[in-house]
Amino acid sequence: MSSGTGVHCVVVTPEKTELDTHCDSLILPLFDGELGILPGRSPMVGRLGFGLMKLKGAGKVEEWFVDGGFVQVTREAVYILTDRLLKPNQIDRATAEADLKKASEIRPATPEAFALRDRALAQARAKLRVGT
Amino acid sequence: MANIRQLDKRRKSVRNIRKITRTMELIATARFKKAMDRAAAATDYTKRITQIVQDLAKSGTDVSHPLLQAHSEVKAVDMLVLTANRGLCGGYNGSVVRVAVQRRNEIKEQAEAGQTSVSGKRGISAFRFAGVPVEKTYSEFDDQPSFDAVARIADELITRYITGQVDRVDVAYTRFVSSSKQIPTVETLLPFAGIEVLSSNSASNSTPSISTPSNSSDKTSTEKKLRDDYEFLPSAAGILEEVVPASFRARLFKCFLDAAVSEQIARMVAMKSATENAGDLIKSLSRTFNRARQSKITQEIMEIIGGVEALG
Repeated sequence: MSSGTGVHCVVVTPEKTELDTHCDSLILPLFDGELGILPGRSPMVGRLGFGLMKLKGAGKVEEWFVDGGFVQVTREAVYILTDRLLKPNQIDRATAEADLKKASEIRPATPEAFALRDRALAQARAKLRVGT
Repeated sequence: MANIRQLDKRRKSVRNIRKITRTMELIATARFKKAMDRAAAATDYTKRITQIVQDLAKSGTDVSHPLLQAHSEVKAVDMLVLTANRGLCGGYNGSVVRVAVQRRNEIKEQAEAGQTSVSGKRGISAFRFAGVPVEKTYSEFDDQPSFDAVARIADELITRYITGQVDRVDVAYTRFVSSSKQIPTVETLLPFAGIEVLSSNSASNSTPSISTPSNSSDKTSTEKKLRDDYEFLPSAAGILEEVVPASFRARLFKCFLDAAVSEQIARMVAMKSATENAGDLIKSLSRTFNRARQSKITQEIMEIIGGVEALG
């Protein structure tokens, strides 16, 4: 990322490049908590969790829900790779609730299955928390 | 008399058919462009994933994940067949079903268990006709498959593979090579091979499935020199844990996109030749019609002349 005044933020989903914008700073939900990125951040690759991404710029805060994935901070830009990028009001609470119910009914037997269940639980809970 | 009227009627109906096939060709062309744009937009994600995998590989991470490991004994093989919901697209559905059924018979010799899932109404009815039992059917995928729906299928397959319910996953679809070449193929998706390919030839900076413009590959190679020390959160291994399923989902999504693009091309080509055929048919029908009309007129004149002569 350039050491200029802004952060070049690019959000890519498997379908298309959803967002290509400049902002003053951004806050990302990482796997274990939030991460703030300011201009000039050193290169990093991080695993995203499920939650709200906040883009701060021109006195406004723009909020998006990111559905897991990765963040790659390079010298040129911040690349966010996520399965879905949604506005909080686009979240389908009914589906999230059904997913949560389905995930809580899984009785995992192996560590891998445990990890899969935890991931599904975290995803559904984050959607319910953020969704309006 | 009746012959002429019949010919005219037939010509009219062929004209109507030509109108329909031409419209279908135009629609298929428009949809093909849209599907093509979507497929092009989807390459951004695969490119970035590739980049992350390369950075991971460079950091000296051991690339291992349950999805990458082949199971020692192959007992259950799942198969996913991607066909179209609608017909009138030449040999598109038939050829996918053919390779799928052939592979399924091969699988049956090695493994007993495993699910067969079919997407597309045409494939569903073809499998039913062939008497092949199908566990799951999907008919919601059209010319613009949504990632959400594909991700659900992918997640299910991932769960089944990791928990050991299935030992191999094959997918039968029409691979899009170029707009003039599409090949019906069966590919093994799990154990997942995409990552290993990437890490082994990370220097070449591209996979066969992703087309990178030539100038951008030069650019990224110079960029790479600049950014060698990445910080990994939580760790390179922790990121890899997510990268593998993510690229598997993207890979499956690519299959659906390829199938959608190929379907539109197949329909375009089929409708183009149908329109041309209808044109030829109209031409030959017109010729016969004109000949019949002329001979009728000639006959009437002869009759009139004959009548006049008889009177005189």
